[in-house]
Amino acid sequence: MPARGGVTRIAGAGGFWGDQVMAPITLMEGADIDYLTMDYLSEVTMSIMHKQKARDKTSGWATDLFDWLEAGGLELLKKKNTKLVTNAGGANPGACAEAVLGLACALGWVDCQIAIVVGDDIHPRIEHMNADGILTDLSGKSVDEALTAKLISAHAYIGAGPIARALEQGADIVLSGRVADASLIVGSMLHAEGWAKNSVAAELPICSPIESWAPMELHHPLDVIAGWTLAGHLIECGAQVTGGNADSWADITDLVNLGYPIAEIATDGSSVITKPEGSGGAVTRANVAEQMLYEIGDPASYFTPDVILDITAVSLDEIGTDRVAVAGARGRPRPDNLKVSSCFLDGWFTSATLLVPGPQAIAKAKATDYILLSRLARLDELVIHTEFLGTGITMPKGGIELQEDLPEVMIRWSVKSPNRTDVEIFGKSVAPLVLTGPAGVCGYSARPRPRSQLRFVPLLVSRETVEAKVEIPMLRTLRKALTERRPDLETRVFNRLQRISENENRIITKRIASRVLRGLERPVGRGKVN
Amino acid sequence: MSTVWLPLGVIAHARSGDKGDIVNIGIIARERHWFPVLKQGVTSGWLAEAWEEQVLGRIKVYEVPGIGALNCIMEKALQGGGTVSLRTDAQGKSMGQATLTVRVEVDRALAERLGVPLDEASQDRRGTIPIPVLA
Repeated sequence: MPARGGVTRIAGAGGFWGDQVMAPITLMEGADIDYLTMDYLSEVTMSIMHKQKARDKTSGWATDLFDWLEAGGLELLKKKNTKLVTNAGGANPGACAEAVLGLACALGWVDCQIAIVVGDDIHPRIEHMNADGILTDLSGKSVDEALTAKLISAHAYIGAGPIARALEQGADIVLSGRVADASLIVGSMLHAEGWAKNSVAAELPICSPIESWAPMELHHPLDVIAGWTLAGHLIECGAQVTGGNADSWADITDLVNLGYPIAEIATDGSSVITKPEGSGGAVTRANVAEQMLYEIGDPASYFTPDVILDITAVSLDEIGTDRVAVAGARGRPRPDNLKVSSCFLDGWFTSATLLVPGPQAIAKAKATDYILLSRLARLDELVIHTEFLGTGITMPKGGIELQEDLPEVMIRWSVKSPNRTDVEIFGKSVAPLVLTGPAGVCGYSARPRPRSQLRFVPLLVSRETVEAKVEIPMLRTLRKALTERRPDLETRVFNRLQRISENENRIITKRIASRVLRGLERPVGRGKVN
Repeated sequence: MSTVWLPLGVIAHARSGDKGDIVNIGIIARERHWFPVLKQGVTSGWLAEAWEEQVLGRIKVYEVPGIGALNCIMEKALQGGGTVSLRTDAQGKSMGQATLTVRVEVDRALAERLGVPLDEASQDRRGTIPIPVLA
């Protein structure tokens, strides 16, 4: 893809599954973008998706993607020649691709190329992997068999290589499972800068170190990869880098129309963080700095599947309004292990709130809490965490202190237990406090229901054992597939159905014919696999 | 050396987030050249004292000199992790802002030389005795 103005413009149109659904559309309407990237996955999203998939085999992916694509996003991608790169495929990239293919088909984008990146799901092999000694916890110790047996999902964080190769095969849209957030951006750069093309020409494996894909004349490919990774890290949480969640919130104009970020990324690994002209928010050194340190560990060794990133010497400079230049990232060869995101079901939990009014709001709240705890004391395994919201529960020692009584206090109880019934009993014990506790207690809602709790377990797995793959599902409808096998069906059946659906007077018959035709236009089958 | 106590928020801004049971707080000097003052004020011991009730594990403070910042890693900070914590703020997102409200002890002469405003300075950690600003 030809870069615009010497740089590649990559947008980060969302920070998690739950972010503003239509943000990608606003972004594309407001700016020209080469690659639109979207990270939909958090620590437990994969497990939630597995639960969904168990109930319905066409689910288990981030359906928000479909909503904005259907609302005009897909047409915009085509019109503006923007590639979409996202891990929305989650626990079921195949089903995600089928849904998007179906939409492309319905909208008449018949040559839309969709690639899926798979291979991250190691759950079916996890017990074997553990027995073979290639699975460890984060400190490198072996994992208890009892733990691997109860895991309900396990996904290795895959790097940028497969994303790049999918784009190199001509994909307009890349849908992956658990590809690391920043790798979506790095993969796009590998394609834009021709590294992916090199790797195909040199027949390098899809999961080989991407520094080996670099052009011969490049002296420090690891630093370039580090710079691209940093740019990716900065935009992967969407508007958190353009003024969202910022300490400077009071100085930022128009958080209502907060713009999502665009990274203008250069061949040498440097980048400029900006946002669409006219959008709200502020791209300042301070806001970018906050995001640079967001959810990282040792700043000299930030592990990704592609590179170990060192940001200690990175400089941030404001070079214009809403333009911050980022330079100085350094890289070391990628780690031997891939991080694994896994989860198991760990009991039940729920929460409830009540509002306690003054006078003596705090004393009343404490009494209310005492009554509830005493009534539930017989439930040995129920853990109850009480918070008096508004009294300083978020404050550390030495922080803002409660000076006197408050006009009102909100009590929040959050509970957990291995037994569902304990949590149910708690749920039934909150509302009665309104009639049986101190005066004026209010604000109860429906009985809170027990929800199953997922415990996140990060693990490490030897990367040689995880083989990522790119698959290109063919845009082939059921009708096309059948016609290929039986050409006579076209005139004998399909054309007749078409006539009935258009001209039939009996409304029921007409409707049935239309429905059958619609069913025949569903995409089927999987095509080329490499 | 004569020291003063300043709310951390005067010197720095911050953002916090989670990874498993770990909370990290990125603390950035409001002016890059205030970094030495920030380093004086924020230590693992200072964080451990402030968060003694919430954080049960090790605390490590890393320097990010390029942008004049510290990255503070606090282990066992979320009752087992963001998905199982019973706190309203299960993911430690408020901890960065909350940390800024706590006072840090810094060298008065250094702070003055680097132009750190001392309007809110006090002689003790509770902030009860304000120090008059020199004209």
